[in-house]
Amino acid sequence: MAEKHGTRPDAPQLVLVGKSVERLDSVDKVLGKPIYTMDILPENCLYLKVVRSTHVHSLLKSVDVSKARNYPGVVQVITAADVPGINESTALLPDKPLLASDKVRFVGEPIAAIASYDPVIAEEAVDLVKIEYEDLRAVFSPLDAIESDAPKIHANGNIAKHLKLRKGNVEEGFKQADYVVEGTYKTQFQEPVPLEPEAGFVVPEPDGSVTCVGSMQSPFHVQTGIAKILSLPPQQVRVIQAATGGAFGPKSDEMPVDILGMAAIVALKTGKPTALAYTREESMIGHTKRHPFVIKLKAGVKKNGRLTAWEARLIADTGAYASLGPLVITRALFHATGPYEIPNVKSDSYCVYTNNTMAGSFRGFGGPQSHFAAESHVEEIAKRIGMDPLKFRRLNMLRPGCLTATSQLIDESCGLEECIEKVLEASDWHTKRNEYTKQTGTIRKGIGIAIMYHGNSLGPEGNDYVAVHMKIDKDGTIRFRTALTEYGTGATSGLLQIAAEVMHLPLRYFKLDPPDTDYCNDAGPTVASRTISVGGRASQMVAGKLHQRLKEIAARMLGCIVDEIESTNGSYYARERPEHSVSYLDVVKSAYEQGLELKVDDTFTAPKCEYDPETSQGTTYLQYTYGAVTAEVEVDTETGKVQVDKIVAAYDIGKAINPLSVEGQIEGGTVQGVGYGIMEELIHKDGVVLNPNLADYYVPTSMDVPEIKSILVEYPGHLGPYGAKVIGEPPIVLPAPAIVNAIDHAVGVRLSEIPATPDRVLLALKNMIAQPRS
Amino acid sequence: MSRHLLKFNVNGKDHALVVESHERLLDVLRDRLGLKGTKEGCSTGDCGICAVLMDGKLVNSCLVIAIQARNKKITTIEAIGTSEQLHPLQREFIKWNASQCGFCIPAMILASKNLLDHKPSPTDEEIKQATRGIICRCTGYHSMINAVRAAALEMKKQ
Repeated sequence: MAEKHGTRPDAPQLVLVGKSVERLDSVDKVLGKPIYTMDILPENCLYLKVVRSTHVHSLLKSVDVSKARNYPGVVQVITAADVPGINESTALLPDKPLLASDKVRFVGEPIAAIASYDPVIAEEAVDLVKIEYEDLRAVFSPLDAIESDAPKIHANGNIAKHLKLRKGNVEEGFKQADYVVEGTYKTQFQEPVPLEPEAGFVVPEPDGSVTCVGSMQSPFHVQTGIAKILSLPPQQVRVIQAATGGAFGPKSDEMPVDILGMAAIVALKTGKPTALAYTREESMIGHTKRHPFVIKLKAGVKKNGRLTAWEARLIADTGAYASLGPLVITRALFHATGPYEIPNVKSDSYCVYTNNTMAGSFRGFGGPQSHFAAESHVEEIAKRIGMDPLKFRRLNMLRPGCLTATSQLIDESCGLEECIEKVLEASDWHTKRNEYTKQTGTIRKGIGIAIMYHGNSLGPEGNDYVAVHMKIDKDGTIRFRTALTEYGTGATSGLLQIAAEVMHLPLRYFKLDPPDTDYCNDAGPTVASRTISVGGRASQMVAGKLHQRLKEIAARMLGCIVDEIESTNGSYYARERPEHSVSYLDVVKSAYEQGLELKVDDTFTAPKCEYDPETSQGTTYLQYTYGAVTAEVEVDTETGKVQVDKIVAAYDIGKAINPLSVEGQIEGGTVQGVGYGIMEELIHKDGVVLNPNLADYYVPTSMDVPEIKSILVEYPGHLGPYGAKVIGEPPIVLPAPAIVNAIDHAVGVRLSEIPATPDRVLLALKNMIAQPRS
Repeated sequence: MSRHLLKFNVNGKDHALVVESHERLLDVLRDRLGLKGTKEGCSTGDCGICAVLMDGKLVNSCLVIAIQARNKKITTIEAIGTSEQLHPLQREFIKWNASQCGFCIPAMILASKNLLDHKPSPTDEEIKQATRGIICRCTGYHSMINAVRAAALEMKKQ
């Protein structure tokens, strides 16, 4: 795998990094240990049920909770009036109340919460809350919402954010073009479906502070949010992450703050521990999903196949509240050309309010939508100029020395071409591409490809820092503490693997403590696949300092200077006298005898990304992950059903810290991407979610998964430890466009909208028969 | 609402509990017997992660009324392996990285165990069929299929 780039001649031999070691949290999980929020509820806990808006866009004339309050068994009812601090639960813009007070903006918006020791009683009392609504005109399509006569959902209008990207002169670029190709692409609401619905509980402490435990991605974001709601200083709000049963994005947005905010108000009012767990339906309606986008593309291309201009207009439906929509459209904007070098680019992205449920963070964060559009469009461009789409891609794609749409120079760490070569070979591309054109019959096979790049680091999304704390106990256990959370990826195990590598110690000495704001420093949010890339650097740095301290003690014990000390697998010796050594445990013992502290606390901060916000030109990310995916499909031309038979996915991930974990991310993300491509769609009708359950919202099961071949390509980057790049998010990006391109190859129709459900495929086939493509 | 005496066997131990007619097996296991390994994911029988074995059949415990378990044998994840001695399925799930967030794992392991109890050498297709009712959102299923296949081989050796 990219040997020529993978190992520098002076690179030290790695013992643990690059090895598929078993992750640390597995044993508890396979034994079904009680580690998740609802498994560890305190005794005598109050349960909350949320009263939600049944109207889509209305003024709240009155909320009468008296009947509910008097219902036998109800202990407490709270409304907006009971919020002691600021009635706000937001991710970015101050647009969303914790509990609606004057207005509701979507069906399902929380208005009140009812507490009882019996959750059934609380649920019964929900219907006793009398709410008077005065309906307002509502708007459900972002295209309608940006019209001047649209009802205003928020005081500042319906555009939460508009961003611009300007590179070169797009008019000039179109003048140079021999062809101009236009297209419009649409994507859907995709529901993240973490298997554990949102849950949390709050324990009121005797000193007036609160302890909040829950399923979440970002404890310090939760702490800030709860402190605001309660009007308490942050240090009086202790937040602990329980084991988290999947997250994929929404658990970094508002939901953990909603859950723990409501519970905290009740806990403080009653002095009782209070829990709130969403049902699956509440979770699917309440939390943020992938933004539906409408993307209009216009590309200028010369006869020789070179792209001269690219214009993109991206409109994202963020629902009733912005959540992280403004940042999602940022990432979407920066990736809107796909991984191609185009001299003249003009892109605009809009984050638009509607009266639909909220969209926000979900694995990929704007990347899947942009790549679906771009990777569909390049096929159409290639078709128009009569060029093989693969050749067209290779002619225009990013290589070292190229400039991205944001005019960032691509350096040597670009393995895109190798990713393509690898997937072509492993998918037997050329044979199949040729063979499948000769089919007859009702079932047709096709093979398609899509390629990508994915900016690493938070970049425009915030300050990129991670704090790590490591302390050695008397028995030699190294306690590793960080507020980065584990929610399934295994990345936190990777942090310990890195620390063990740096310290030349076996992994068994390391123990990961649960993220807790009481003893961790802020590590920023656990999002954007940043645990290994940025957290790994923090781990490397802190482990390096602790290792140095151990070497200093060992040097004193061995009577030499620290620079002479070498270490290997838990033993320290002077370079010239390897026969005299001291063990790790001896060094720890000696430190404790001398009263020396064996702990290091430090924060790694990634370099800042600098770019012009007016033109989006500059450094938007610190490095890129690259990828290529082929999809093989079978299309049933009678039923419209698409079956995905095989996905070959190659990613340039810089350096795989734990190859097995990387493959786990690729396989899991691929299957979510296949779902995005052919079956997953949260359907809204007039603002009401029609399928908020797992019977009507289809998530791929074991019967739906294609054969998957994962290939790792390693062109080390500059940000992550050992050259690592991010891999959590990228695998969800390409399956959808690769599948849609394969459908086109199989039956000759272009689906400009996903998912490729049987009805969409049938309709497209029918339209093609009616209007055959020239 | 009526009350019933539920006599049943859970993980090899006999229990006699008074249950209400509407109580779910899931709640009896989690809240009355403290067996928290069985998870709740949807409460409508769609995700499968509350699955337990009832007389050797995989059932969604959120859809089983507690009294339906009368005189039956229930097996939950707590009966499968210990930290000192993991079941081969548990060992292989760890080895193949088949557990990511872990929330579906108790159900996946019970479904797989049930399969191996009846079919010691399943094909991949049979493994997929046996676990089709349980959603895993993290792994993409391949690592699980690999783990079950490997565990079957291990168990035959023993």
